[in-house]
Amino acid sequence: MSEAPHTVKSYEEELKNLNSNIIKMGGFCEEALGKAIQAITTRNSDHAESVIKDDEKIDKFETLIEQQVVNLIALRQPMAIDLRETVTALKISSDLERIGDLAKNISKRTLLLNEYLPKNLVDALVRVSSNVQKQLKSILDAYLDRSSSMAMNVWESDEKIDDLTNLCMQEVIKYLKENEKNLDDGTHLLFVTKNIERIGDHTTNVAEQVYYLVTGEYLEGDRPKGTEPIVTGEK
Amino acid sequence: MIKISAKNVDVFYGKKQALFNINLDIEENQVTALIGPSGCGKSTFLRCLNRMNDVIDICKVQGEIVINDFNINDKGCDVVRLREKIGMVFQKPNPFPKTLYENISYGPTIHGMAQSKQEMDEIVETSLKKAALWEEVKDRLHEPGTGLSGGQQQRLCIARAISVQPEVILMDEPCSALDPIATAQIEELIDELKKEHTIIIVTHSMAQAARVSQRTGFFHLGELIEHGSTDKIFKNPDNTKTQDYITGRFG
Ligand SMILES: Nc1ncnc2c1ncn2[C@@H]1O[C@H](COP(=O)(O)OP(=O)(O)OP(=O)(O)O)[C@@H](O)[C@H]1O
Ligand SMILES: [Mg+2]
Repeated sequence: MSEAPHTVKSYEEELKNLNSNIIKMGGFCEEALGKAIQAITTRNSDHAESVIKDDEKIDKFETLIEQQVVNLIALRQPMAIDLRETVTALKISSDLERIGDLAKNISKRTLLLNEYLPKNLVDALVRVSSNVQKQLKSILDAYLDRSSSMAMNVWESDEKIDDLTNLCMQEVIKYLKENEKNLDDGTHLLFVTKNIERIGDHTTNVAEQVYYLVTGEYLEGDRPKGTEPIVTGEK
Repeated sequence: MIKISAKNVDVFYGKKQALFNINLDIEENQVTALIGPSGCGKSTFLRCLNRMNDVIDICKVQGEIVINDFNINDKGCDVVRLREKIGMVFQKPNPFPKTLYENISYGPTIHGMAQSKQEMDEIVETSLKKAALWEEVKDRLHEPGTGLSGGQQQRLCIARAISVQPEVILMDEPCSALDPIATAQIEELIDELKKEHTIIIVTHSMAQAARVSQRTGFFHLGELIEHGSTDKIFKNPDNTKTQDYITGRFG
């Protein structure tokens, strides 16, 4: 936001409010992702269940933000930085909402997994997810600080997540091949891995929005891409 | 194509300087919006472009205004011909104390634009239609123009300005007294007019400037702070003063 406050105080309040709702919503997403991963590593069903239950909160934030954005456009006709604030809030909230959904899906699958999972699988999963969690945290900080360089860093690091995802996928496939009994768990884990990667993609979307918000320019060029995935479940 | 080029323009009212070293190129067949807080010099600048400041005794203009490769501030400039080419709609409506019809036929008559009564009727009708006034006044064309409402008078002045087919049309807050429907009609007219005319419009409505113009200049305290494509000015201006003004952050 610009240094000087708006002449109309209520307008100033509305923009601040929108901003803080994005931050809060982002906080809930971070928490959901954190708990969803913890539920796998510690095999704690309570965590998984709370992620599933709390997704509603994230959805409500999306609706709230959408209403605020519509009001701002209708009543204030925001210009320049305010226009970018308003439009990016709408787009960021929809990416955050998807992140919430994906965390919820991870948790649903976690509840269906067997008690025992091989350590190497869990480790591979944690390697991807801890990177994604770090990215999500950084991009929310970048949004809060209005930092285009932080946003750029997040955007550029998506490549690493793609690579770690592929390594993790390979582990899961090995596990699937080992024993027919691993079929259920292995399939769930493929989706879990894929979901984590997609959370990373949404985080990258947010990075593009933050960059645009701060600079008024679009991040140029193709997204950084890691090695082509071997198995992705979608083509 | 550059239609008008203002070079190092300074304007003084007596000892008080109202414009400071203005340099601005106006593109042909485009709409240029001039925005800025009250008293920043928008009307003063607009009046420089057809030497309307001449009529203010204490007003002194320095610098060059080049239109069609000719500096209109030169001694040899024919001011009457100039104002024929550069039409103007003023901030306050100023119909002549004559009938509606005469208000519009006056210019075309002087310039010998109609060969017959019928041709003149046509000019009057199309001018009024373009200015979105025809339906309201077609039955009272021979009543005095001063008997219209403020918004109608403003549209009458727009009709008068366009009746002589000027190359450039200067509009000083043409919609400030108009309702939303007439405003939309004038904006539509501006879009239409820019095909054949170059338009410079002063407006206090940021949304209007953003809608109707392709280029925008922001004035503040007599200086041209920033100018460029309207898109850029309203989405991502370079200057913080511009940003503060268009986002409503000016103290
Ligand atoms: N005829 C005049 N005599 C003396 N000073 C004048 C005259 N006309 C304008 N000024 C001064 O010149 C400055 C610029 O005035 P101008 O009318 O160009 O502003 P503006 O940007 O058109 O404002 P507004 O948006 O209120 O119409 C102001 O300080 C004003 O007081
Ligand atoms: Mg004025």
